[in-house]
Amino acid sequence: MYTETLIAVNIGLPVVSALASLVLSDRRARAGVVYLTAAVLVVSSLLLYNVGGLELNLGGGFEIAVVALDFALLLYFMYQGFMYRSWQVLALSLAQLIPVAYFEFIVEGAHVEKILVVDNLSILLTLIINIVGSLVVIYALSYMEEHEHHLHLERSRQGRFFFYMLLLLGAMNGLVYSNSLYWLYFFWEVTTLCCYELIRHDGTEEAQGNALLALWMGLIGGVAFVAAMFVGYNAVHSIALTEMMAAPLSQGLLLVFALAALAAFTKSAQFPFHSWLLGAMVAPTPVSALLHSSTMVNAGVYMLLRIAPVVQGTTLTYIVAFMGAVTFTVTSVLAIRQRVSKRILAFSTIGNLGLITLCIGLNTGLSYGAAVTLLAFHSVAKGLLFMGAGVVENKIGSRDIDDWEGLLGRLPLTTAVMIAGMVSMFLPPFGMLLGKWVAVDAVASTPLLYGLPLVFLVVLGSGATTFYYAKWIGYLTVLPNGAKMSAERLETPYRVALYTLLGVNVLISVGAALVLSNIVNPITAASYTPQMSTPMGGVDLGFTSFPVLPLWAAGAAVLLIGSWLAKMKGGAITTPYLSGENVADKEVTFMTTGDSEVAANMSGTYLASSIDEEWLDRLAVYLGTAIIVALFIAEVV
Amino acid sequence: MDYTATLISAMLALATPIIGGLLMGVDRKLTARMQERVGPPLAQPFYDALKLWGKAPMISSGLQPVLAFGYLGFALVAAGLVTFRQDLLLVLFVTGIADICLTVAAFNAKSPYSYLGGRREFLAMLSYEPVMLLAYIAIFLVTGSFTIRGIYEYGAPLLLVLPTAVAAMMIVLVIEMKKSPFDVSGSGHAHQELVRGVFTEFSGYTMALIELGHWTKLATTLMIISLFWAPNPLVGAGISLTMFFAALLVDNLYPRLTWQRMLRTTWTVGFALILVNVAALAAGGVI
Repeated sequence: MYTETLIAVNIGLPVVSALASLVLSDRRARAGVVYLTAAVLVVSSLLLYNVGGLELNLGGGFEIAVVALDFALLLYFMYQGFMYRSWQVLALSLAQLIPVAYFEFIVEGAHVEKILVVDNLSILLTLIINIVGSLVVIYALSYMEEHEHHLHLERSRQGRFFFYMLLLLGAMNGLVYSNSLYWLYFFWEVTTLCCYELIRHDGTEEAQGNALLALWMGLIGGVAFVAAMFVGYNAVHSIALTEMMAAPLSQGLLLVFALAALAAFTKSAQFPFHSWLLGAMVAPTPVSALLHSSTMVNAGVYMLLRIAPVVQGTTLTYIVAFMGAVTFTVTSVLAIRQRVSKRILAFSTIGNLGLITLCIGLNTGLSYGAAVTLLAFHSVAKGLLFMGAGVVENKIGSRDIDDWEGLLGRLPLTTAVMIAGMVSMFLPPFGMLLGKWVAVDAVASTPLLYGLPLVFLVVLGSGATTFYYAKWIGYLTVLPNGAKMSAERLETPYRVALYTLLGVNVLISVGAALVLSNIVNPITAASYTPQMSTPMGGVDLGFTSFPVLPLWAAGAAVLLIGSWLAKMKGGAITTPYLSGENVADKEVTFMTTGDSEVAANMSGTYLASSIDEEWLDRLAVYLGTAIIVALFIAEVV
Repeated sequence: MDYTATLISAMLALATPIIGGLLMGVDRKLTARMQERVGPPLAQPFYDALKLWGKAPMISSGLQPVLAFGYLGFALVAAGLVTFRQDLLLVLFVTGIADICLTVAAFNAKSPYSYLGGRREFLAMLSYEPVMLLAYIAIFLVTGSFTIRGIYEYGAPLLLVLPTAVAAMMIVLVIEMKKSPFDVSGSGHAHQELVRGVFTEFSGYTMALIELGHWTKLATTLMIISLFWAPNPLVGAGISLTMFFAALLVDNLYPRLTWQRMLRTTWTVGFALILVNVAALAAGGVI
């Protein structure tokens, strides 16, 4: 009963709290609900990790409720499509409503014995959803106050906002526990709903438009699921994932998995579905933080991780790998070109998910381990980055990173957190880099014929990733001469969320070996032989090793000695050399040879003349579409 | 690894700045001879560094000295990874941290020259790091390991199977040494447009730290290149010294190119040299 209670808490509590925050109009009461929910969710996810998985049959009452809610949801989508004249939404909802009704009432195939199955993979996802997700919701308490203050709203709309934020957490937990394809599909649609409502939260025309884009792209995934239900039921007379995975691989089942991969691409914003995630940034930043780190996009890669073991050695999995590689490289190059903070982060998310997709597609014990590692570390680091970006945006009123020059002097605390987040995305000894290192090992270990193009794409993408993060860090640390750093005031929810997640980020990176041996390897071991052993707090792959703890020690030593030296030798802070006579008591102006006073001005590096964004974007859409077409042709032939 | 071997590796790692410094002395002497000058004594770089260390300290911000030491410190960590025969990818990543310390320190001062140099240093990293990564992957494909230990265990000289990949490393070396035609980020000869580029705002002891870091990186890269003839360290050292002299010769023969040309060269010629090599090996059934 104990485990069942935890499952019920993980799905049910967010829903109850969501309703509570919708009803409560008092700000403090709502904050109380959020804090309490977060605390309980964190504890229950840790307890669930402790007890391990289970299989669960639920009574008929639950099944009826899910069917009823599902139809209500589809009708609501149709209503939205009709209201906002979106034929895509209308058509795609209708394409689900009729087949689902047929499947439910005529075929009567929706019943499954084991509705929920919780295994190690689900538990990792729950840990991410409950820990990172909860912190983002806490963070939103401060953010939405400031946000609504900037908007000068007459009536607060926060009740609605927190309703969908919390509901999304519950739906995500339901999604990762579902074994019935129908339930999985239902929770999938609920996340689509939350995403739609959160993106259009501010009610502007742009927000509504981008929300509709996210909705119809999400609905493509829904249609794919409905089709998968029919095909899967046809093949094995059940829509339980466990049954489909246990049955010998047939043409029909391959089609099911191809459809699931298509749905996964829509959620994880792989090409050509990347535009919805970019558009989603019009929403308040906590939404982006939630979508990019712990929910939404993870649903896609979760789906791929789920089906990968059974499609080993098929064409399908190579196509998935190729999709991931192309997405990783092209988005990493596009990220160089961006000046809007959230857009850079969005491209970084899509790119990293591409890398994860690539690893899943390679489908070996090593690459699977790399994918799970990347998923875990990415969600923490990306949550940190988006939350930091949101604070900056609220405090200085700009998302343009050209306006972020020298932010370290103006908002030292937030900027330090952001720099830590960026560093943990691409430098050793942090976990993301560890994951990338394993990924490179995995890609390089694949047979050369298709391995070489993938290797090449990964090399290009990694180079670009280093470049766009490094230049961003450089730009943040420009300190005008004589500028005094003074710590900004951060509201309590901000501090709770940012510092806790930063702590988690460092802890899991220092203890990466523990994360790998206790979380990643058990997940891999379900279907593969894990390749990562963890002797002496490091990671060993047999043919090479990553000494995590010595690297941390070396890094800490370098920083300590450096700080000591800086203290010892110190030095007077002087004006920079400007190749002219510096104008006294002004920060950085100088006299030119023509005797005029000129302020030294710098602007960011975006390689605008070298990177044609429109062209690359079009290429992405065409390539993505071609890959998906190839995905299905490969199943038919 | 036994006690003596550990000691030797540690000593070797700590000696990299000295080796690099001597090579810089050789560089100055040889370059002077090519230009029909006498040139300074061999130990001149060390005299310079000592003098810098004793100068009155001036910094652009409190962060700058920490980052300057970070450049040297992480370069030493990378050198240690090489002498302890660790993973080449890690060497690359840790060297990346060192480079980022340098560039961020350059950005740290609000100076257009150091900013321009810093930006070009990033571009230099974007140019050569992927080529190095690809070269290491080529080594992995041949030896089955990313570790330097693995290269030693492989036994046969890598140069014979990866000749054009070694040629790609030549381009990398020129960029790393900040030599013409790719000395875009901090050339010693571009005062008019760059002043001293990425190094502009360092002086006194911070400049000394940066110099030491640069020497360490040079020696580390040359050590890695010498791995292409791992069975006999003397031949390996001969190869890396030959490439070092070639870089000096190129420096004196060619004018500086733009960063666009640098990026284009590495991303086309550099990649092609390695990919062709790998393709040929695959076609020949070697890997």
